[in-house]
Amino acid sequence: MNIEAFLKALQATALAEKIREALFVFPMLEATHVIGLALVFGTIAIIDLRLIGLASSQRSFKRMYSDILKWTWGAFALTAVTGALMFITNATVYYHNFYFRTKMLLLVLAGINMGVFELTLGRKVDSWDKSPSAPALGRAVGVLSICLWITVIFMGRMIGFTTTRAAVAAPPPAGVNFDDFLNTPGPPPAPPKK
Amino acid sequence: MNRFAEWLSTTPPSVYIQNHNAWFIPLVQSIHIVGIAVVLGSVLMINLRILGWAGMDQTLRQTSTRFAPWVTSSLYLLLATGILMVIGEPVRELVTISFWLKMFLVAVSTVIAVNFQRKLRADRQPIKWLALATFVIWACIIILGRLIAYDHVWGSWSPATKA
Repeated sequence: MNIEAFLKALQATALAEKIREALFVFPMLEATHVIGLALVFGTIAIIDLRLIGLASSQRSFKRMYSDILKWTWGAFALTAVTGALMFITNATVYYHNFYFRTKMLLLVLAGINMGVFELTLGRKVDSWDKSPSAPALGRAVGVLSICLWITVIFMGRMIGFTTTRAAVAAPPPAGVNFDDFLNTPGPPPAPPKK
Repeated sequence: MNRFAEWLSTTPPSVYIQNHNAWFIPLVQSIHIVGIAVVLGSVLMINLRILGWAGMDQTLRQTSTRFAPWVTSSLYLLLATGILMVIGEPVRELVTISFWLKMFLVAVSTVIAVNFQRKLRADRQPIKWLALATFVIWACIIILGRLIAYDHVWGSWSPATKA
């Protein structure tokens, strides 16, 4: 089966149909997705800041890592499931969306970033566990991780703005230009009716 | 409120945002979400410590000293980006029940947080069920924040459907 046929089949499943039809389900999926990603980024950032040496510098890294990471993974599972459920409602559109593709790529990069850390410094954590910041590679991993996740969040938000009907139905009003508004003394142009 | 929202939408800053909404609104919303993430992650850490489920190598006071300032500064970031979103889309934000319920819950969680800090300074034990409640309240704040875009799900409770 080629990918287009597969996406169409996904979209045609009874589950996808149910999510599209129910008033509350899609918004609740979005909200749960935000809760999940907030926990993912919120907890990962705590680890990253510890790696960089900007916060929690006095604590054992190993202790923090094992304390926090299980919550990160739990939240990631929640985010992945809600994300997948949103994806199947409109699979053909999301699949071709630039921001969706970029987001998936960045997620893979974030995964590789974490894998690199686990396979290098993660293996000899005892040698730097108590130092206020990780060795240079670890600090780089921390900075990269924060940047990648913030961009992932932005890409995710852009998906919503470029794939729903709301985005298509509300183009910027024609003939309203802020520069004109600054340069001409008259009253401001009326805003578009929402 | 309706009239205020309509007036606000004719002011220069609002018109500016409306004209640049292709990137402005998503960008501000993304910063808002990053702020929410910092708050939620920090609140999670403090609450897990209160419940004794994580961070037990630290005292509660150490945990609070580490995370509470991040909550406070993120709340200012959330306030600033939130105000920008209201200025950019006054009617969409203010004429909804979701927005005002959300503001109510933000006020409730702030009262709980201030009370917690006062208890901590007085060396009194925090109330454990409030730790769970705070987390639930924050989850509801996030849900209501998203529902601002879908206020019609409230049916006749939503002022947006009457307009």
